[in-house]
Amino acid sequence: MNNEKDKNLDDLFNKKLQDPANEAGFREEDWGSLESMLDERKKRRGIIYWLPVLGSVAALLLLFLGWWALRPQTSIKNNQNNVQVTSKHPNANTGINGGAERQPEGVKYNKPLSQSYADNSQPGKGNNESKSFFTLSAAGSRHNTGTAASTANDLATSESNDLATSTSYNKKTLTAVSPTYAFNQEGLADQNVSTVKYPNKNVITPVVPDGKTISKQKPAFRPQYALTVLAAPDANGVGSFQQSKLGTNVGLAFSASITKKLTISTGAIYSVKPYSAEYGDYHIAYQFPQNPSSVTADCRMFDIPLNVGYQIYNKHQNKISLGTGLSSYIMLHESYTFNYADPYTTGPTHYTVPNSNNYFFGVANFNATYEHRVNSKVSIMLQPYLKLPLTNIGYSQVRLQTTGVALGLNWNLNSLSKP
Amino acid sequence: MGEEELHQLIRGCIKQDRKCQKMLYKAFYGFAMGICLRYANDRDEAAEVMNQGFFKVFTHIGSFDTTRPFKAWLGKIMMNVSIDFYRANLKMAYTEDLEAAEHVSDGELADRNLSYSDLLAMVQQLPQAYRTVFNLFAIEGYSHEEIGEMLNINAGTSKSNLHKARQKLKQMILNADVPAKNINYNSGTDHTPIVALKAISMQGVFLNKGIRE
Repeated sequence: MNNEKDKNLDDLFNKKLQDPANEAGFREEDWGSLESMLDERKKRRGIIYWLPVLGSVAALLLLFLGWWALRPQTSIKNNQNNVQVTSKHPNANTGINGGAERQPEGVKYNKPLSQSYADNSQPGKGNNESKSFFTLSAAGSRHNTGTAASTANDLATSESNDLATSTSYNKKTLTAVSPTYAFNQEGLADQNVSTVKYPNKNVITPVVPDGKTISKQKPAFRPQYALTVLAAPDANGVGSFQQSKLGTNVGLAFSASITKKLTISTGAIYSVKPYSAEYGDYHIAYQFPQNPSSVTADCRMFDIPLNVGYQIYNKHQNKISLGTGLSSYIMLHESYTFNYADPYTTGPTHYTVPNSNNYFFGVANFNATYEHRVNSKVSIMLQPYLKLPLTNIGYSQVRLQTTGVALGLNWNLNSLSKP
Repeated sequence: MGEEELHQLIRGCIKQDRKCQKMLYKAFYGFAMGICLRYANDRDEAAEVMNQGFFKVFTHIGSFDTTRPFKAWLGKIMMNVSIDFYRANLKMAYTEDLEAAEHVSDGELADRNLSYSDLLAMVQQLPQAYRTVFNLFAIEGYSHEEIGEMLNINAGTSKSNLHKARQKLKQMILNADVPAKNINYNSGTDHTPIVALKAISMQGVFLNKGIRE
């Protein structure tokens, strides 16, 4: 009985409320408000869609720069290795000196001995005392002819030849012999056929496979990814830090190591940057009735850095690296307060910039990072940094510079994936 | 609107074509508003919730399966948006006295000549939690278990809220039958709920501040 009544009630509402009739007639203003919601989203989407494009372009640029910066470093290393080759024990070097392209570096180092192979073979034949190893090196060159690696032999012959022609002492030439062989081996290491032929003649041959395996292991580098949550108090000043004010930064960063020592990092940092400066540092189109003595500003922005870091120290659980890069500022809010020397001056005291501006790669970053590993996943980070402007920032076009110390918590993302 | 015409409009909306969006909005305005009005406190609020629903429709229209009925999909979105809009209020406890309503539940409801706007006004006067459960049970046809899951409340709470909603509606209908005596549906014995209702809607405004601005 009661149930039926309830059902009747429900039915009554169900039937009658299905058809709102003209109660829910279309109102243009409702569409207007929805349209503005959709427009706003479009605008926001525009910014969001552009960011990854800009970011990836910048990342590629930095990747290239990083690679470019890395190139000279490897050649420097090679030069050092080559010094070892000629002066120290040759056997030990084959492991480090693996690649064929590094050979020319060795040749360059030994510049004083830059005689061509053809020239050397002639006087070599005429010299009795050095004949024994000349034949050997000549044999090596015969094997190598037609290959790019013959430069090594070139060097070998020229070196031994030079020594042989200048002094006929056996002892001296013998000391030169060992590096000669080492180079020969290297040249041969890149040629599968000749390495097979050589072992009979050379005592150093076992080194060859060793050198090969080491050089194979080297490129097996796995990129490391890490996520960092950071907070940083910093000092902001215009022109100098004399009138600096304290700002706050909170953000998230992502870093990826592209080589063992080089790391690229990016992120998004929300920054509150208050600062004050002399009126002279400001560049505003507005003509003040009487110029203010100083201006105080409050800027809020997103700082999107793109940095590259080079590790200079890594022992135990501690790492130190130096970094540089560029930051983009996306202004969220800017407001200025104008202070007048004469308290009775009539003039604007406040100005809030209605439209936000973006400054892409307008700031240069310099930082040093100390990282202490807590466990395989987590590490803590301390990063003093300096931000110098490359362009004028903000509505007032000031050269806003910042220095501070960021505190961060790194989370190693690689611990998730298996090797 | 024909099936083909509707699909053409939907295709336009997928391309974010503003004209198609407006046409679709106009075409389903009444239907969507009808749903939102039942859950809302008043027309303005309903329009706000409905726009949030349409915003979702236009931003997620790419995920709509065109083989299924659009109207049902839209209706479900409107219902969900309405529930979300008032979610903060749904768990509130009401302490008003329903005893008075118990003995006035007699009378032939169907005989009363009540219009859409009369009934809507009654539903809108229900406290949020009662209104939502009543809508979901009596009009959308969900079970108490389903309602409990949707609103994140117990099935028992849903039952009790439905019961209270019905009592209040019956009371309002009986009061409406004698408009000469009371122009306001809520008066005399029913005074307490008005106070409660006002307090609740104020709290709703406060809790939903973030969403509505």
